[in-house]
Amino acid sequence: MERQSAVFTVFVYAAALLLAAVILAPILWLFVMSISSAADLSTKPLNWWPEEIDLSRYRLLLSTIENSAGAAFTASLFNSLKVAGMATLAAIAVAIPAAWAVSRTSNVSWSLYAVIATYMLPPVALAVPLYMGLAYLGLLNSVFGLALVYLTILAPFTTWLLKSGFDSIPKEIESAAMIDGARLDQILRLITLPLAAPVMATSALFAFLLAWDEFFYALLFTSDLRAKTLTVAISDLAGGRVSDYGLIATAGVLAALPPVLIGLVMQRALISGLTSGGVKG
Amino acid sequence: MSALAIENIHKRYGEVETLKGIDIALESGEFLVLLGSSGCGKSTLLNIIAGLAEPSGGDIRIGDRSILGAHPKDRDIAMVFQSYALYPNMSVARNIGFGLEMRKVPVAAREKAVKDTAKLLQIENLLERKPSQLSGGQRQRVAIGRALVRNPQVFLFDEPLSNLDAKLRMEMRTELKRLHQMLKTTVVYVTHDQIEAMTLATRIAVMRDGRIEQLGTPEEIYDRPATLYVAGFVGSPPMNILDATASQGQLRIAGDDHTIDLPSRLGGAVADGQRVKLGIRPEALRLAGGSEAGPQFRARVEVVELTGPELVTTARIGEQRVTACLPPRSSVLAGEERTFTVEAEAFHLFDPESGRSLAKG
Repeated sequence: MERQSAVFTVFVYAAALLLAAVILAPILWLFVMSISSAADLSTKPLNWWPEEIDLSRYRLLLSTIENSAGAAFTASLFNSLKVAGMATLAAIAVAIPAAWAVSRTSNVSWSLYAVIATYMLPPVALAVPLYMGLAYLGLLNSVFGLALVYLTILAPFTTWLLKSGFDSIPKEIESAAMIDGARLDQILRLITLPLAAPVMATSALFAFLLAWDEFFYALLFTSDLRAKTLTVAISDLAGGRVSDYGLIATAGVLAALPPVLIGLVMQRALISGLTSGGVKG
Repeated sequence: MSALAIENIHKRYGEVETLKGIDIALESGEFLVLLGSSGCGKSTLLNIIAGLAEPSGGDIRIGDRSILGAHPKDRDIAMVFQSYALYPNMSVARNIGFGLEMRKVPVAAREKAVKDTAKLLQIENLLERKPSQLSGGQRQRVAIGRALVRNPQVFLFDEPLSNLDAKLRMEMRTELKRLHQMLKTTVVYVTHDQIEAMTLATRIAVMRDGRIEQLGTPEEIYDRPATLYVAGFVGSPPMNILDATASQGQLRIAGDDHTIDLPSRLGGAVADGQRVKLGIRPEALRLAGGSEAGPQFRARVEVVELTGPELVTTARIGEQRVTACLPPRSSVLAGEERTFTVEAEAFHLFDPESGRSLAKG
C-alpha cells in the first residue's frame, strides 16, 4: 500500500471523516439539544447552535429535592446502576465455571448450544411466564427481580464469550499446573483467570451495556421509583402531553455517561480483549 | 525393582485402540525414548504415565507402588511439554518455583532451589522476566527448570525440542544429554526425531500402531533392527530395502544378474527359493575399486548430492533404488554404471510378509 495515488489517499480520509460524522452527529445533536433553550429548539428555521447556553435541565435532573423530577431521575439512575451491576457480576460469576467446563470438556459443549438456542427466542415470548414467575416470588418492581431477569439474558452471552477466551488458553498450561500440584481452584485463580482477564473485561462491559440499555423487561416488570430504570424513566419524560425535547436529550446525555466512563477506565483491557484472539504462551 | 514399570497398558477411545499392550521396565537412571511417527500412541502413553489420561487396562508402577488412579501431582513425576506450557502471567522465577509454592515449601528453601536450578541451566539473569520476553530456547530452559527443581523420580518429555529451529535443537539436545549425565535421572522422552532418539537414549522403544516394534539400546536398534519398519524409520537417509531371492546360499537382487554370497550367519535363516527383503544401510555401501572380494553389485547412478560431509548417491538396480553415502571426494558422475560393494556383515534380511528380521539372535 505504499504506492497509492494522492487521489486515493484523499478518498480514504474523506470516507473516514464521513463515517465519523455519521456516527458522531446524533451524539453531538443530543448534546446541543440538551443545552439549548426550549425556544431555540422550536424556532423555524432551526437554530443549530443555541443563542445562549441553558444548563437548567441538568440542574433539574440532578437535583435531589424530594418528589421532584430530579429525584425520580437520579433514583432511576441508581436503579439502573444497581440492576446492571448486579446482573453483570452475577453473569460473570455464573459464566466462569460454565464456560470453563464447556471449554475443557468437549463432551458437554452441546449444552452451551442448548442455552444459546433459548437466546434466539424473542423477549416477548418470555414476558408472560417471567411476569408470572416474578409475581409468584414477590419480585415484581424490585431491582433484584429485574437483575435476575437480566441474568438470564446476560449469562448465555458472557458464557459464550468467556468460552472462546478459555479456548485460546492452551490446555497444557493447566496440565502443567496440575502436575505442579495446583488444585483446580488454584489453577483457575492463579493462571486461567488472570490470562482470561481481557476477555472477562470485554464480556463484563458488553453485559453491562446490554443490561443498561434494556427497556422492554424493565418497562413490564417495574412500576415506580423503587425499581424503575433509566430507560423507562426517559420514556416517561416523553410520555406527557407536552414533551420537552431538551429534557429528554439531557437525560440521554446523562444516561450515556456511566457506560462511557466505565469504557474509558477499562479501555486497555478492552482493546487487548477485542483484538487478541489468544494469549501467547 | 525397576524405577518405572509399564505393564500391559491398553488404551481404547471408543472403537479405536490406540495402545495395544505396552510392557516396558525402566531401571533407575535410564533414558527411555519413545520413538514413532505421529499417531503411533507414544504421546498417549506419556500422558498415561503423567496421569493426564487413564489407561483402559494394565498397570504403571513407580518404585514399588502402582500410580494408577493417583492424581498427577502425587505421582512424583515432572513433565516438559512441547509448547513449553509456561505460565505467561508469572515471572521466570515463579514459573520455576510454582511446583514448590504449591507444595508449600518455605520461601527461603524455594528461592534457593530456584536459584540453583537457574544456575544449572544458565538462566540466572532471566529470573525476573516474563515468558513472553524470552526466546524459544530460553523458554525451553525454563520449562526444563520447572521440572528439575522438584527433583522427581521420573521426568517426562513430550517432544520438547520440536518447536526449536535446527541449530538450537542440536544445542538443547547436547544440553539435555549433559544434564542427564550429571543428574542421572530416570527419563521418558517422546519424539518422532530418530536422531534425538539415537543420541539421547539409553534405550529406545520404537512404536507403531499402538505396539512396541522393538525395544533396545540405540546400537541394537541401528545395527540389528527387528523389523522392516524399524529398519526404515531409524537412519537418515533410510536403509535401502531391496527385493531379492535366496538360492543355494546365495542372493540374487531383483534386476541384477549377479549373485551375492550370503554371509554364513544368515545362511541357515533362509530356504532355497525364498523371497526376502535385503536391507543395506546407505553408509555401508562403498564404490568398488575392482580388486575387492566380497559382495558386489552394479547400479546406474542417477543423482549425486554433495551435502558437505558426504556424497549422497542415488542409483538404480533394475527398477530398484539404492542410496549410498560415499566419501565427499568420490569420483562418481550421474549416468555412470558403477560397481558397489558392501561388507557381508552389513546385510539385513527380512521376511517380506511379516516384515520381521530373519537374522538369528
